[in-house]
Amino acid sequence: MKRYSTIALAVVLIAAGCKDNPITNPIDAPTVDALSGGLTRISLQQLATGVTAQDRAAFGSLAYLVLPAIYARDVYRIDASEPRFVSETLGGNPDPGSFAGGGGFTDFFVAIRSANTILLALEKPDATQFSAAEANAARGFFRTMKALDYYRLIELRDTVGIPIQTDDPSAVTDIRCKTAVLSFIAALLDSANADFSAAGGSTALPFTLPTGFTGFGRDYNQVSNLVRFNRGLKGKVNFYRGLDRTAPQPALFQTAINELTQALGAGPGAVPASQLPVGPYYRFVPGGSEDFKNPRSDSKIGLNPLLRDSVQAGDTRGAKIVSRSTLTGGGLSTTITLAGAVPTAANEALPIPIMKDEELVLLRAQAEIEAGQLAAATADINTVRTANGLAPHPVFTSKTAAINAVLYEKRFSLLFEGAQRLVDLRAYGRLNSNFFRRELPTDPFNAAMPIPRGELNARGLTTNPACTA
Amino acid sequence: MHKIRSFLYSLLLLALFGTSAFAQSRRVNGRVTMEGSNEPLASASISVAGTTLGTYTDEQGRFTLTVPAGPATLRIRRIGYTQRNIEVPAGTSEVAASLTRDVLQLETQVVTGTATTVSSVNAANSVTVISTENLNRVPTQTLDNALQGKVPGATITQNSGAPGGGTQIQLRGVSSINASFGPLYVIDGVIVDNSSIANGITAITQSARSNFPSAQDQRVNRSADINPNDIENIQILKGPSASSIYGSRGTNGVIIITTKQGRAGKTTLDISQRFGTAAISNKLGLRCFGSAAEVQAEVDAGHIDAATGVDEFNAATNKCHDYEQEFYGENPFNYQTIASVRGASNAGTTFFVSGLVQHDGGLVRNDFYNKQSLRANLGQQFGTRLTLRANTELIHSLTQRGVSGNDNTGINPYTTFSGTPSFIELRRNADGSFPKNPSTFVGNNNPFQNAEVIKTPENVYRLIGSASGQYSLLARERQSLDFSLRGGVDSYSFQAKVISPATAFIEQVNALPGTIVNSQANVLSANLGGSLTHRMITNAFTATTSAGFGQSRRNSDVVANTGRGVFPGVTNVSAATQIFTTEGQGINKFFSLFAQEEFLTLGERLFLTAGVNAERSSNNGDAKKMYAYPKFSASYRVPFIPTRIDELKLRLAYGRAGNQPQGGKYTFLSTLIEEGVSGFRASTVKGFPEIKPETASEIEGGLDLTSFGGRLRLSATQFRKQIDNLILQASIAPSTGFTSQSINGGQIVTHGTELELGMTPIQMERFSWVSNTTYASNKGKVTRLPVPPFIPISGSFGSRFGNAFVQQGQLITVLQAINGCKALSSTGSCASANRILAFVGNSAPDYQMGFSNDFTFGPIRLASLVDWRKGGLGINLTNAYFDGGLGADTAVGNARSNSFRAGNAAYVEPSGFVKLRELTVGFELPAGLTSGMFNGRAQSARIELSGRNLATWTKYTGLDPEVSNFGNQPLGRFQDVTPYPPSRLFYLTINTTF
Repeated sequence: MKRYSTIALAVVLIAAGCKDNPITNPIDAPTVDALSGGLTRISLQQLATGVTAQDRAAFGSLAYLVLPAIYARDVYRIDASEPRFVSETLGGNPDPGSFAGGGGFTDFFVAIRSANTILLALEKPDATQFSAAEANAARGFFRTMKALDYYRLIELRDTVGIPIQTDDPSAVTDIRCKTAVLSFIAALLDSANADFSAAGGSTALPFTLPTGFTGFGRDYNQVSNLVRFNRGLKGKVNFYRGLDRTAPQPALFQTAINELTQALGAGPGAVPASQLPVGPYYRFVPGGSEDFKNPRSDSKIGLNPLLRDSVQAGDTRGAKIVSRSTLTGGGLSTTITLAGAVPTAANEALPIPIMKDEELVLLRAQAEIEAGQLAAATADINTVRTANGLAPHPVFTSKTAAINAVLYEKRFSLLFEGAQRLVDLRAYGRLNSNFFRRELPTDPFNAAMPIPRGELNARGLTTNPACTA
Repeated sequence: MHKIRSFLYSLLLLALFGTSAFAQSRRVNGRVTMEGSNEPLASASISVAGTTLGTYTDEQGRFTLTVPAGPATLRIRRIGYTQRNIEVPAGTSEVAASLTRDVLQLETQVVTGTATTVSSVNAANSVTVISTENLNRVPTQTLDNALQGKVPGATITQNSGAPGGGTQIQLRGVSSINASFGPLYVIDGVIVDNSSIANGITAITQSARSNFPSAQDQRVNRSADINPNDIENIQILKGPSASSIYGSRGTNGVIIITTKQGRAGKTTLDISQRFGTAAISNKLGLRCFGSAAEVQAEVDAGHIDAATGVDEFNAATNKCHDYEQEFYGENPFNYQTIASVRGASNAGTTFFVSGLVQHDGGLVRNDFYNKQSLRANLGQQFGTRLTLRANTELIHSLTQRGVSGNDNTGINPYTTFSGTPSFIELRRNADGSFPKNPSTFVGNNNPFQNAEVIKTPENVYRLIGSASGQYSLLARERQSLDFSLRGGVDSYSFQAKVISPATAFIEQVNALPGTIVNSQANVLSANLGGSLTHRMITNAFTATTSAGFGQSRRNSDVVANTGRGVFPGVTNVSAATQIFTTEGQGINKFFSLFAQEEFLTLGERLFLTAGVNAERSSNNGDAKKMYAYPKFSASYRVPFIPTRIDELKLRLAYGRAGNQPQGGKYTFLSTLIEEGVSGFRASTVKGFPEIKPETASEIEGGLDLTSFGGRLRLSATQFRKQIDNLILQASIAPSTGFTSQSINGGQIVTHGTELELGMTPIQMERFSWVSNTTYASNKGKVTRLPVPPFIPISGSFGSRFGNAFVQQGQLITVLQAINGCKALSSTGSCASANRILAFVGNSAPDYQMGFSNDFTFGPIRLASLVDWRKGGLGINLTNAYFDGGLGADTAVGNARSNSFRAGNAAYVEPSGFVKLRELTVGFELPAGLTSGMFNGRAQSARIELSGRNLATWTKYTGLDPEVSNFGNQPLGRFQDVTPYPPSRLFYLTINTTF
């Protein structure tokens, strides 16, 4: 009997061994597989914060915020321990292996992947968690954020082009030319807008956005306001598609004007001064476990000394420029800086607009100039001028004069708030020695960053490949 | 798997329906004694050749055995003795046999499978067997140290001189870059955890500039807990050709430990009392300033703080302190008390119960290692068929290792001495207070105060237990079938604290003075294994078939809390102003099935083995997939050999083992915080769902030769080990949203040679000399690397000083450093653009040799062990600390720092050495004297005087060429940063057996 029970025991144990579930789920951190089980309101909130936080991280990097402002000749960053802020901007070409040439890339693609991951999970939303309208609102939001990040990528890479991510996380796709990328972004924004239409303007997102999206005059948790954000970005994209130097599409200027009007909710001359600073913003939180300071708040930063001389008398935006101790190095020198760049606790927390209405008004003026609507353009330019303490211009008769005027307003309204100035100088063909002095004898007038070394390596390349249309 | 299952069932059926009956038989009585002394040998095994019949001798060495009719051969064996065959003619019923001691271990039983062993006479692998005697010749703090110099093919290196362990064992070179790299420890069938847990001292040393425990915490690997005195023997499977039976945990070799069991015979009580001390064995030497002008020159050069300048020099009464002696000059009183009872009862119970109480002081006041262990090994025989065993060991250790290794605060004593000129008094004042070090270069740190006020207790409670049963399903004359089942648990709890009170000068420079780290770990490993072994013996062959399963799991949870801004005297981390918390958890599961056939034939000359182990693990990408680890081996005892040669065996073995991935399977979500709200996004490290184990295939061939009537034994082994599917970090296109991923790819091929020469040049009744010499060399090369060459993730201080580097075509142990300059500046320095990055040599030794000699002159015994490591490189960053003007020899120091400035690898040094590892002199008290002790109850008594690491000969200029700042790591362990100095250990042992 004993023998039988021993054998029975052995058989049971062996069988139990074979049956034992061999899979152990990791318990230290959630994995992306957690998303395949469906989203809840709580997990969607966390993932949405992941997207906006990653987008802020990408925007708030030195590579996005500082380097384009140096390329645009508004800003210097002089740091003895990191001479590449000069040697790879105003003094020479960026190295694709360094932060100066390789930055402003990965972070945006990580944000895009985060948005793509949620969009996949949102394909079959759990009806007990989200209404159909909420799911549409969420889709529209993540598509718009993707469009924003793609736009920022192409701002930095311009004619070099960028790849477009697919849902397959291992797919390394072709590097697409700027024209194709902009048209992709435009289509993406339209599909987001279609999501918003399906959701209905009165729907709110099924999660809460950071207060930067709600605390500056408009609550972007509401679909109706997200539509304005979406259309504003679409208008911006369409304006630059219209002005595209390789494949201009003049027909898009009027489309851009219409979209920007929809975003602003008022025609030329009708936007009140109080509305100009309205828009979504990035907020920065120094200290604590978050510890994300406004990257402009930096003692190594100065403004190009020419900037002070360019300010027109009476322009209240002149207050953005303040004196600082002399900052010298690498052949550059300055004694001025941005008021917001002085390293103080307040500046470390100073918000930066993602896209404010003041920018949209000026973009509409740019589109109107190209569309030949100089009276409307002048009205939009004057909206910004008068709000900043300057006398209105009489209606422009010359396109060039109007462009000069709008570029002045954009430069000081959006000073050190992103890559807008760099984009404009390139778009109007002004980033060259006909329009600007060489900052250093070896100044190459860098206009765009190369494809980073890591991306080239993964593709088995050593230099930027030709982009595909 | 289904096939294996049906095979098992059919074996069971065979067992059920097999009948047992003996043909005609007779009884044979006999007695077994020790050659020369006529002392009875208990527990010797007697078996009838060509059958499964057998028995054991009793306390008087007597046995009775039923033997088939006709002439028979009895095979008599006992552990530690040479086997003997006795012919018993048909009519004889009384036999007597004597066995001689197997001093060269010619005939130990070596492991061939989970449930099987074979005599080393036939073994097809080179398996090193260390007996308890060889292991415990000289007392040791931890087991790993006791193995140093004794295992050819093992590189055993102690990470620091701090008490309580921290030793790395590497068998047959580097076998992984990113997966596990240490051998597997198995005690009595229980897989024992050898992880290293950091105590969090980084919080005060800032070695890793982190609030959380790090690799630079001078960690102890937990094999230190094992009590070496309980060990009967250790078998070391050095590579996959032997360790294949351990599947995906076998790549790095296996250390199989068998503890002592009770045995028939008189119950013995063995008591050893050891007393000892330790002394610093090497010092760096510190500068003595001869004049105020010399001091001023160093102040002007910026090498010393003006606050420790001429005024302090002139005011000093003692102008040259030997800080090393003052601080590390403690000669601790060490002791070990070891007691064990061993025996058996008439009811078939065997027992071995042992206890250990150990105290080892450090070279610094208040540093120590305390260990207590209690073991009970019980066995019970039920009838003739069932044997049950239960082995348990309960261990507690409490260690305080003080502060050593890399730091960025000036807290390490050697860092302090490198920034404090030796005319500053740092020792305790008469009133009990401590002087504040005036040097701000080292944060006003006073190590003498730290040794008093900073506490670093590390408490480990550990239980290792196993229960096993063996049931004889079938026992017939020519076949047997045994079922065995074994379960084991290894569980430990680790509690470490670092208490650095705000009163310490070193804390007063912090924004929030007063630091506490409280780290806790719970690690549980459990395994269960069962096997069926069928043995069939015919006149032509012996066939052993075994099959079974193994299952194990490991759960771990490591939590560390660091608190800053704590009031002095408070040890509760929740009282801190700022608290940082981290936790790491893990669960893995594992299941395997195996089957093996062993075949001994041609008059026991040819031994063939084939086996396969199929296994799955939750660490693999596909957790359900079974990976197969096959092995084949053959050995042949050559029949035609010249005279003077007793035995010549040729052997060849092939085996494959694996190394489980340690992660890399999943894409985790990373936490990001925006405006205080936490969010998640996919990590930029992408998971590799197909990740699989690294595989190691090894082919090993060799010969074993015995000559001069067993007085000489030579074993020569050559192996080729190939690791494939290396787990590597691959960069991926960032446009996918990910930047890296673990992949399988890459290959390392290692070739090596191992020689062992054992001799008994003299073997007389009153005088004997036993000598063992070992030689091992191996070199591993990266033969395929599908990713760009890289610096391994394990710690280093960059190529300016030197680091490991993985590049196709190079040795895996190559050392890369800046060495050379394209153009020197006018001041003799080398701009970074001009520095030449080069491979400066092989960090691993060219070869290692061990020389062990054991002399007996009547009652006196003298034994020594010398460990020689030829070649190899280390990086002596400690010199870089002292080359700033405070080293004893400033000319040498200046020359070195100038050379470094000129772009040379000035801190890379040869790290070969010769060490006198063990020396012992023992005296066996004469029987006349012993019988007068303890009322005549003592059987024998011995007094021994012994020492460990008594002398070192090396060109290395640092404290010890063995040290590793990062503790155990697969590559680049050679970083020497202000370590705890090594010590000489001295012991007096009194051993009495009752």
